[in-house]
Amino acid sequence: MKSFKAYFKKEITEAIRTYKYLVLFFGFIFWPAMLGPMMLKLLPLILKNYMPAETMQLFSDFTRDYAFQSFLSDSFQFMLAFMAFVLMGLLANEVRLKRLVFPYSRGADPEGVVLAKYIHYAITVSLFILIAFFIDYLYVDRFFTGGILSLKILFESSLLYILYFCTLLSILLYLSSLFRRGLAAGFTVLILGFSLSIFNQFDTIKAYFPNYLILKAADIGHVFDSSLIPAIIISFCLIILFVFLSVLRMKKIDVA
Amino acid sequence: MIKVVDLKKNYGRVEALKSISFEVEKGSVFGFIGRNGAGKTTTMNILTGLIKFNDGKIIIKGKDFQENKQEVLKSIGYLPETPTFYDYMNAYEYLRFIGEIISYEGKNVSKLLEMVKLAKHKKKRIGAYSRGMKQRLALAAAFMGNPEILFLDEPASALDPEGRMEMLELIEGLKNEKITIFLSTHILNDAERVCNKICIIDEGKILLTENLSQLYKSYIQPIFDVEFEEDPTDKIDLLKKPEWVENIKENGRKISIYVKDLDYAKKEILKELSKLNTSVVSYQIRKSTLEDIFMRMVKQK
Repeated sequence: MKSFKAYFKKEITEAIRTYKYLVLFFGFIFWPAMLGPMMLKLLPLILKNYMPAETMQLFSDFTRDYAFQSFLSDSFQFMLAFMAFVLMGLLANEVRLKRLVFPYSRGADPEGVVLAKYIHYAITVSLFILIAFFIDYLYVDRFFTGGILSLKILFESSLLYILYFCTLLSILLYLSSLFRRGLAAGFTVLILGFSLSIFNQFDTIKAYFPNYLILKAADIGHVFDSSLIPAIIISFCLIILFVFLSVLRMKKIDVA
Repeated sequence: MIKVVDLKKNYGRVEALKSISFEVEKGSVFGFIGRNGAGKTTTMNILTGLIKFNDGKIIIKGKDFQENKQEVLKSIGYLPETPTFYDYMNAYEYLRFIGEIISYEGKNVSKLLEMVKLAKHKKKRIGAYSRGMKQRLALAAAFMGNPEILFLDEPASALDPEGRMEMLELIEGLKNEKITIFLSTHILNDAERVCNKICIIDEGKILLTENLSQLYKSYIQPIFDVEFEEDPTDKIDLLKKPEWVENIKENGRKISIYVKDLDYAKKEILKELSKLNTSVVSYQIRKSTLEDIFMRMVKQK
């Protein structure tokens, strides 16, 4: 518990001083939630002199639901890329730069170190996702009309996004403990995040993969239903498994 | 206090430690000396729980280290050769961070910073510290919580002469406080000054472990220091011929002649020097230093 508290505080200090919060803000909130709806609104104005009138007619059909779905698609890509590359060195850098020498030689618990890192960034990612969704709602609601989008739907979608990104975060944490270079972990998670979406094409198995959470988050009006249960259970199991594996790895690894 | 039995460590196919054994008594300063790559840091990293070992047994404070690692580590402080920190923190924040892990009172951190003469720089980012300042901060982190055992890996290597003297005085002070110190160094004068016991390691093998006083008795080898008026380099080979000469070290106009038989050498050396037909400025018999013993042991192996 002492190691957990010490590392939790250290992670907050580190995220502030090394601008991790700021970079995550840009990737999670600014681009997809603030810039995204604005661009969608401004797109017809920008393109009106360059495109035929029939095509321009399509833009006028943009509803709040469409704008929100557009945000979900953008935010998935932005959040995945930013999370993978900002947090890829979570454990790899600690080991490679020998920063665990003092804490470990003074009896720091690997469980505390790993849990502090995971919980801190799980909270950060969750908060950023929630904020991004609510900011996007404000913009979408102001810029567009029509559709059935409500705060309830938005909240349900954001919860699925939070669970999905917390699952990926646990995988990233584990890979970061496996590779000496964080870049390898970042790329692997990035590829994994995008490639798992392929399973959404297969109706019989898609509900058993975490990427189904992302698919359902965009299913406005039917976000929460029983088809989500396997994906939710599997996601939680994956989180527990990869955090546990990370702890095991950090117990066995040579840190000097 | 520390007992190591048949400790082995391999890095792939490379045997870094080849079944080493030694014992460190409570309250003593144990000098662990050896060349670069001899296995000193590997041993220290194992004894501080930072790396695993392949075989052997470690008993610290009467407890099996592997089985009671977390508990034992609470009474250990480690000063690594090249300490690394979180550069974005300042010294005060870093010590508070380590202090939180070992339940060290925050109010004592300032005292610790004064002890290592970093109080003035406590708000400066560690990334902007010089190597010597980092070494002193590392010392503070190692001393934190008054550990019973201190592992110091080349503690004076990054310090200026004044800092080095202070470090030695500090170690002597700790020796008086009965703190067990495991000191790895290649500055043999330092080891000679503060250590009770010396252990020489080379290529992962222990060559000898002996009390310093006993070491001088057992391994004493007289050396004749001779100073010439002119550089004798071209005539040195003549001096290497007699059987009683073991080795000759040259240093400009001065040479050190290592002999096998002191009594015989005393009688013969002047005869041999006269054959060189070079003026001798001074001539004296010197007792072996730790450096001499170390060189001899490594060479013998």
